[in-house]
Amino acid sequence: MTLSADMQLQLGSFRLAAKITAPGNAITVLFGPSGSGKSTLLSILAGLRPADDDDIRLNDHRLSGLPPHQRGLGLVFQDARLFPHLTVRQNIAYAWSRAPREKRPGIEAVAKFFDIDKQLDRPVTNLSGGEKSRVALARAVAAAPDFLLLDEPFAALDGARRRAFIQVLMDMHRNYHLPMIVVTHNIDDAAALASHLVALKEGKVVAQGTFTDASRAPQFQALLDSADVGTAMPPSSLRSSHGGQSLWIRADQVLLAAEEPRAVSARNVLAGEVRAVTAQDDGSRLVELETERGPVLSRITPEAARDLGLERGKKAWALVKAHAL
Amino acid sequence: MLSAVEIQVLSTSFSVAFWAVFLSLPPAIAMAFLLSRHFSGKLALDGLVHLPVILPPVLTGFLLLLLFGRRGPIGVFLEQAFGVHLAFTRQGAILATAVMTFPLLVRAIRIAFEAADARLFAAAAVLRASPADRFLTIALPLAAPGILAGAVTAFAAGMGEFGAVITFAANIPGRTQTLPLAIYSVMQQPGGEAQALRLALMSFILAMAGLVGAELLQRRMLRRLRG
Repeated sequence: MTLSADMQLQLGSFRLAAKITAPGNAITVLFGPSGSGKSTLLSILAGLRPADDDDIRLNDHRLSGLPPHQRGLGLVFQDARLFPHLTVRQNIAYAWSRAPREKRPGIEAVAKFFDIDKQLDRPVTNLSGGEKSRVALARAVAAAPDFLLLDEPFAALDGARRRAFIQVLMDMHRNYHLPMIVVTHNIDDAAALASHLVALKEGKVVAQGTFTDASRAPQFQALLDSADVGTAMPPSSLRSSHGGQSLWIRADQVLLAAEEPRAVSARNVLAGEVRAVTAQDDGSRLVELETERGPVLSRITPEAARDLGLERGKKAWALVKAHAL
Repeated sequence: MLSAVEIQVLSTSFSVAFWAVFLSLPPAIAMAFLLSRHFSGKLALDGLVHLPVILPPVLTGFLLLLLFGRRGPIGVFLEQAFGVHLAFTRQGAILATAVMTFPLLVRAIRIAFEAADARLFAAAAVLRASPADRFLTIALPLAAPGILAGAVTAFAAGMGEFGAVITFAANIPGRTQTLPLAIYSVMQQPGGEAQALRLALMSFILAMAGLVGAELLQRRMLRRLRG
């Protein structure tokens, strides 16, 4: 199953013109700074707002022109949008009773999966923020959508609760074989979730493909704050217990050594070869190192670059600071 | 306690107000929902609905006579098709009261629809609920406190409707004589002030009970919705 869309929308001086593909066996992250049109794109996919022109397809089935309730796409909003006149169970049942019989999971099982089975008969008006988010997810899953769209569902969470929520999304994707498109502008969340990436800037797609490849594109790196420039690495290659798809290793978290370091505090030392050294706007040097576990970026001072004699083809060691893992 | 005449007047008033609100509730809900959306010509329709509030009630009654009277276009049709005539009957009193209280109902219900969070309709739409489904399962329950309050207020106001009723349905004891019409009648009689005062007191108590009851019910329902 593949969700593909080609859409155009003019909104004042803002123009959304995007052609995207989201594979059915993956979590696709729709990444971009605020105002890049991510939420608008999701609304158009779901049929909640009209585009000037769109061609949206699920495999060969054309969704464009269908009203939202006939598209079979779920959408989880930033705010949970639970129905205040219904209990937790009734909110989930609202979705469940309208879902195709052969696809829908049981209400009790879904409630258990999202750890809200103790709250089933409570009114939704006095749940905590985290509970509300989980009820919204449970309700979306109970609707048995062909594709689930999530619009920054963890924007209001922070720290440990945010990581826990991302883990819930990953588990949900695996357990229910639910293809998802998740909107975020946070690079750590994107790396943790994404196997596929669509990057938007000012309404245009600037990079698209597997997360590992698309996140290396210069157009994608240009979207990031300079402090966030970095590379994605699988947690296993860095001896990390992180449960996500990839870890985002920022260039500022990587030290370079011209000789193999021995007694160092960094837990991970990767040997590699310098591919490129580029001067940044702030004068620092961005060094791209090809290691045995993939490319790594490191930001160093021009003095350090000169002292280490770093140039293309030279051998070097990258030291990834443990707090990055 | 209450005299036979008073009981008759009260039961006429109750019956007229009840049926007027009961029968105008579905069209009022539909109209209120329509007016809570955006469309061209909304202002004109809004004005038309509120016309009975602005016009002198006697004029409304007169217009009803012109339309529904024995020689009025709708009156002639109703008589020929169903053998029904409304002028100077209980049904006519109900129609006149319904027309007068319709704007009150529409206004209260419309405010309730407008206050309902439109984002919830989008949430229901992506859970496969069709527009009619969304109206019945989201919009209507969320507007229920407003609908109830509007109905009780309209009922209380309907009990006191005077000008349109007396013009269109006349003042016939046992058939169209409601509380205010009875007060008017006894005031015409010498020495009727004491009786008028009793009826006025009943009218006042009923109106207050209606308003307080509506407020309490609405508060209770809102508490349930807001937690």
